[in-house]
Amino acid sequence: MLDEIRDGIPSHVSESLTDQPQLIAREFQERMSGNICRCGAYSNIIEAISEVAEVRA
Amino acid sequence: MRPFNYLRAESPAHAAAQAATVDGARFIAGGTNLLDLMKLDIETPLHLIDVNGLGLDKIETTSQGGLKIGALVRNTDLAADSRVRRDYGLLSRALLAGASGQLRNMATTAGNLLQRTRCPYFYDTHQSCNKRKPGSGCAAIGGVSRQLGIIGVSDACIATHPSDMAVAMRVLDAQIETIKPDGSVRVIPIADFHRLPGNTPNIETALGAGELITAVTLPAPLGGTHIYQKVRDRASYAFALVSVAAVIQPDGNGRVALGGVAHKPWRVEAAEPSMPQGARAVAERLLAGATPTHENAFKITLVERTLASVMAQARVQA
Repeated sequence: MLDEIRDGIPSHVSESLTDQPQLIAREFQERMSGNICRCGAYSNIIEAISEVAEVRA
Repeated sequence: MRPFNYLRAESPAHAAAQAATVDGARFIAGGTNLLDLMKLDIETPLHLIDVNGLGLDKIETTSQGGLKIGALVRNTDLAADSRVRRDYGLLSRALLAGASGQLRNMATTAGNLLQRTRCPYFYDTHQSCNKRKPGSGCAAIGGVSRQLGIIGVSDACIATHPSDMAVAMRVLDAQIETIKPDGSVRVIPIADFHRLPGNTPNIETALGAGELITAVTLPAPLGGTHIYQKVRDRASYAFALVSVAAVIQPDGNGRVALGGVAHKPWRVEAAEPSMPQGARAVAERLLAGATPTHENAFKITLVERTLASVMAQARVQA
C-alpha cells in the first residue's frame, strides 16, 4: 500500500488525481477498506502503517 | 454450487463462437460478480468461457485523440492510468469510489458494465424476481426499496444498475466495441447499451447471444472540471444511493449523469442546457416523470442537493 502511494496512485480520498498522495491516516483507511474484515479503521493497524511509512520515508 | 465446464478461449472470435454453440455459456473475466452469483445459485451457467489472456488488457490512444480501453483492463489499472487521470478525471474518480482495492484489482472494464443489480430481492432466491426468474413477479415493489430505482422503472422491476464506472462513461459518450459469434464486429453507444426493465428485466443490455465486448472507446477529452460525487450509507465500500457524474465547463455548461436511480446510467441530454440555471432546473428535467416508492422518494431531493454540491465544487475548481 505504501508503494502504491509512493508511486503516485490516487485513492477515493486523494484531493488531486495527479499530485503525489499524502502518507496520512485518511489515505491508509481508504486503501485498507474492504481488506481486513471490511474494517479500514483499526487504530493499531493505522499506527503500524504510519510507523513503517515514517521509517521508510 | 452446480458443476460447470470450463473453457479457455483462444481468441475473442473463438470465445464468441463457442458461446453461441454451447448451451448455458457465460464469459468469465474477473469473476468478482459472477462467482458470487453462482455460489448463491442465482447464475447457473453450464459452461464458463474464460476470456482472460486474450490480449484485451491494453489501453491505447486512438487516432481521434481518445482512448481505447481493452475489455479486460482491470478497474485498478484504468483508474491509475495517467491519461485517464489527466483527461478523464471523472472516470478515475468513479472507479476509485467503487468496491474495494481487492475487487478493483480483479474487476474488468467489460465486467463492470455487465455486473448485475444488487437489489436484495434479486439476491434472495426465496423471493419473486422477474429479473432472476421471468414471470415470477417483483417482491421489491411494495418491499424494502430504499436503495432501488425511482425513474425508468416498470411494474415488473425497480432494480438499479450498480456501476459507478458506467455512469462516468455515459457522460463521456463511450462506445462499446463487440464481436459476434459470426466474427462480425459492431460498436454500441453506451446510451443504447443498457436497457430499461420494461416487461423483460432479465434482458439487461443490447448484446446478442454470444456477443463479446472487446473494448470501450472514449472520444477525445472534453476538458472542463470533472467530478464524481457518490452518496452512500457509509464512506467506503458501499453502493450509491445516488451518484452524480459531471463534466462542467468554465461557463457553467456541461454534461451530467446519475447513478443509483435507474436500471441504467441516467442521462437526459435535454436537461443539460439548463445547467447554467442551477441544480434545481437540471434536476427537474433529469427526473421528470419519476415514480419513486415512499421509501426512496428522498432520492429526488438528494439528486438536486448532490447536483448543487457538484456545481458548487466546479465553480471553486474552475
